[in-house]
Amino acid sequence: MLLSCAAAGGARAAPARITVASYPDLDRALKLALPAFARRHPGVAVNVVTLSHKDHHTAMTTALAAGAALPDLIALDMDFLGKFVDSAGLEDLSCAPYLAGGQAARFPGYAWRAGVNRRGEIKALPVDTGPGALFYRHDLLARAGLLETDLTPSWRGFIEAGRTLRARTGAYLVAHAQDLKDIRIRAGLADGEGVFFDPQGRSQVQTARFRRAFELALQARDAGIDARVRAWSNEWSEGFRRGAIATQMMGCWLGGHLKRWIAPETAGLWRSAPLPEGAAAAWGGSFYAIPVHSQQKALAWDLLQLLALDRDQQVAAFRSLDAFPVLLSAQDDGFLSEPIDFLGGEAARLQWRDMARRIPAITIDRHDAVADEVVRNELDQVLLHRKGIDQALADARATVERRVRRRA
Amino acid sequence: MSPRMSLRFTWPQRLRIPRRWMPYLFISPFFVLFAAFGLFPLLFSIVLSLNSWDAAAGLGAMQWVGLDNYLYALTRDDGLRASLFNTLWLAVVGCVPQHLVALPLAYYLHTAFRRWRNGVVGLYFLPFITSTVAVSLVFSALFSKDFGAINAALLGLHELPLLGALFPSTPIDWDQAENTRWMIAIVVFWRYVGWNTVLYLSAIQTLPRDLFEAARVDGVSERQTFLHLVLPQLRPMIFFAVTLAIIGSLQLFEEPFILTSGTGGSGQAGKTVAMHLYSVAFTDGDFGTASAIAWLLFLLIAAATWLNNRLLGRQR
Amino acid sequence: MSTLLPLHADPDRPARLGARWRPMPSARVIGHAIVLAGALLMFAPFYLMMVFATHTNAEILSVPPPLWFGDALGDNLALLLDRLPFFWRNLGWSFYVAGAVTVLNLLLCSLAGHAFALLDFPGRDRLFGLVLATMLLPGFLGMVPTVLTMAWLGWLNEHKALIVPGACGALGIFMMRQYIGSTVPRELVDAARLDGCGEFGIFWRIVLPLTLPALGTLGLITFIGSWNNFMGPLVVIRDMDLYTVPLALRALQGSGQTPWGALCAGAAVAVLPLLLMFVVASRRLIDGLTAGAVK
Repeated sequence: MLLSCAAAGGARAAPARITVASYPDLDRALKLALPAFARRHPGVAVNVVTLSHKDHHTAMTTALAAGAALPDLIALDMDFLGKFVDSAGLEDLSCAPYLAGGQAARFPGYAWRAGVNRRGEIKALPVDTGPGALFYRHDLLARAGLLETDLTPSWRGFIEAGRTLRARTGAYLVAHAQDLKDIRIRAGLADGEGVFFDPQGRSQVQTARFRRAFELALQARDAGIDARVRAWSNEWSEGFRRGAIATQMMGCWLGGHLKRWIAPETAGLWRSAPLPEGAAAAWGGSFYAIPVHSQQKALAWDLLQLLALDRDQQVAAFRSLDAFPVLLSAQDDGFLSEPIDFLGGEAARLQWRDMARRIPAITIDRHDAVADEVVRNELDQVLLHRKGIDQALADARATVERRVRRRA
Repeated sequence: MSPRMSLRFTWPQRLRIPRRWMPYLFISPFFVLFAAFGLFPLLFSIVLSLNSWDAAAGLGAMQWVGLDNYLYALTRDDGLRASLFNTLWLAVVGCVPQHLVALPLAYYLHTAFRRWRNGVVGLYFLPFITSTVAVSLVFSALFSKDFGAINAALLGLHELPLLGALFPSTPIDWDQAENTRWMIAIVVFWRYVGWNTVLYLSAIQTLPRDLFEAARVDGVSERQTFLHLVLPQLRPMIFFAVTLAIIGSLQLFEEPFILTSGTGGSGQAGKTVAMHLYSVAFTDGDFGTASAIAWLLFLLIAAATWLNNRLLGRQR
Repeated sequence: MSTLLPLHADPDRPARLGARWRPMPSARVIGHAIVLAGALLMFAPFYLMMVFATHTNAEILSVPPPLWFGDALGDNLALLLDRLPFFWRNLGWSFYVAGAVTVLNLLLCSLAGHAFALLDFPGRDRLFGLVLATMLLPGFLGMVPTVLTMAWLGWLNEHKALIVPGACGALGIFMMRQYIGSTVPRELVDAARLDGCGEFGIFWRIVLPLTLPALGTLGLITFIGSWNNFMGPLVVIRDMDLYTVPLALRALQGSGQTPWGALCAGAAVAVLPLLLMFVVASRRLIDGLTAGAVK
């Protein structure tokens, strides 16, 4: 029935048109794929609608809520995905005619799992990902007599190195103690577990994992190794420019940002390392979904396959836009072995690929954003006002449960 | 005595509408549009406030919960209480100075600035027409802790001999809880003081010139003229401006949202009720409670405007 | 406030109302200085926005931020138009929507204001209370029902969805009622009625001309409000070539690096029509038609 739409396309007088809603910079990867799409479907107009990252998700929530004003293909960011995967308004791609279930093996577990909801329905396919990396200033560390191997084996060693760095060069090791918490709570998770909620939806913030994360952040703050600057603020970018902040743990795409606008003059001074103590995490990731109300589902599915399942497209986006490919076969491209000048000639992409392969297939929850906000606020209380960690975690749990108010 | 002018403007006989109906005809556009576009959202949000709804799941996902959302908002929602405090704080600190400055400013501009009045008023009005996105960028640069002009100015003022003690000696971190509120209050003041000035100025413009002439002839000082002659005449306009200010400040959303990048700042000190509403709807995914909070806010604003009406409204 | 040197006063005559009689010409200078300093503070962020529009991202985010114009304006505009190929069209749409809303509001709100201020009819106060009450309703919960309504009407992705609902705003009615109530003399209206003039004629020939300053203010406010509104277009407009300006500028912000220079350039371009509106309107409202517009 849906395929017949595409077959009948040739007989229709008006040219077919599909609308894709996206946000910067993902829309650039989308536009990169349009020529290939045009070759497969000549005469089909693709209407790319871009809104700001936040506006886009607000508009899509509203559209799905009303069941109207929907595009044919929706971009969804990992941060917001949890809210959309349960939506009855998105097509289940495991059903006919998509039958996407067989594609699971082509993706890393964590990326695939995020687009699948608890009932096993595949609501979205991943198109890129951001495996984490520890970017560090090689020269600053050298000046303090430190090496990468002082940072990565253990968190204790990491903090000690930070103390040394501060003492000998005056530079801070990290931008904010919250960064350490963010990574530590994602450590040691198994496939199927969630960061803030278990698969049954119970809050996890009062577990030992969170306590260790809070302790780590507090140790870092007490050791004086964090600069207390918010990510993406002026002080943050200036900190990199001036060499006041020596490391940043973030998605691998940070390298591109550092090179292009944050600190271009520091080219060659940075290196990339795996996250400390074997932690494996990803920052962000983009997905696409097809709304049930779309009139052009066949065309939308074709475009989605081009974006998510086509190795050449993934590599092209990687080469020109720095969007790390999520497709496993694209991660074997020779491009990954090429040295990166900004990182002093290191072939860091291979390292990022290894990181992507180690990330556990954690489940995301609709309320992850709430929990993240609550935990962040509680850690602020601990760091700034010396609130007791146990008290903070207990309060966090109470607040999360209150705000989430699950109905049986 | 008015001259007998030919003011006859009569409809053709067939179309003559009884005078009795004219008032209703005049006000009908508003009510027709409201019935068409305002009533449904209103009823929808009332119904929604009695349901639990995860919006992205679609219309079918609504579940009836009765007054549970209201009870939750009133008794267990700490975020609402905190944001209410923030909103009231911002209403007083951000809003009251606007009027205290705008009134004398409008008067001064009317009486003392002749040639450059338009230009000066234009400069004061500029903040109001600048887009909030650009404003956010500029102000985040200005309020930057280590590199912002405002901290630089404050530290510089600290060097002054006597007054210097009033100013801080270390850079203020505007991201910190209490400071965030001051930052928002400053920006709100900046943005709306010109708007109020324009309102008051346009009201002063309609006052008869003889009022000022008589005062001048009598040797009344400017200040006395302002306080005892002009202000009372401005009462309707003050009532109007204050009503708008009450409604606007209790519904304040854009400035704090943009300045704190939607987070409300550390300790949620910059989160207003409207922001809390937005976060309950879009972060918590709970449209039902958000609607309940919206209606509670409505009651609050209604109470405040009623109070304002009693105090400043037209004496009948 | 400053004390002026009275122009016609007799120095020997005792002043009334306890006026202070102190010749202080320097007070005027101080007053001017304060006002101008304030004006400069108002202007400073706007000026910075203009300056940022002429710099690259790296320069804007550097420390200290640039205080004088750079040379990247052309690049920024090029980037703006590359990301927003329909930017000029967006400007046009903003004009169209804001203009239509303004004209409709001026007409319909003054009609309603006239009725509420000058006419006596049963239910008047209650109906006015209802009008006021609608101003208190929160905005963005109306987003979903608005989409539903527009979808049902078939107005999705069309600008009439933005114009028609806002064609007669409660704020305008409130404002016009205040103005008309306090500036139009009842004797004039009564005399016209006695003359047999129809109500609409009174409105058109007497009330409207007398309230031109208010219309100027209302027109300005309505235009700016409509120009800067982005919630409405966000949920209703679905094609980038139909966007209004705020939506378009916001579409530059993404999960990556926001092109601040281009954004400021776009914002600067977008604010120029508003400035123009202000200059046009201020000639009417600030120069004040005639003092003594009452008589």
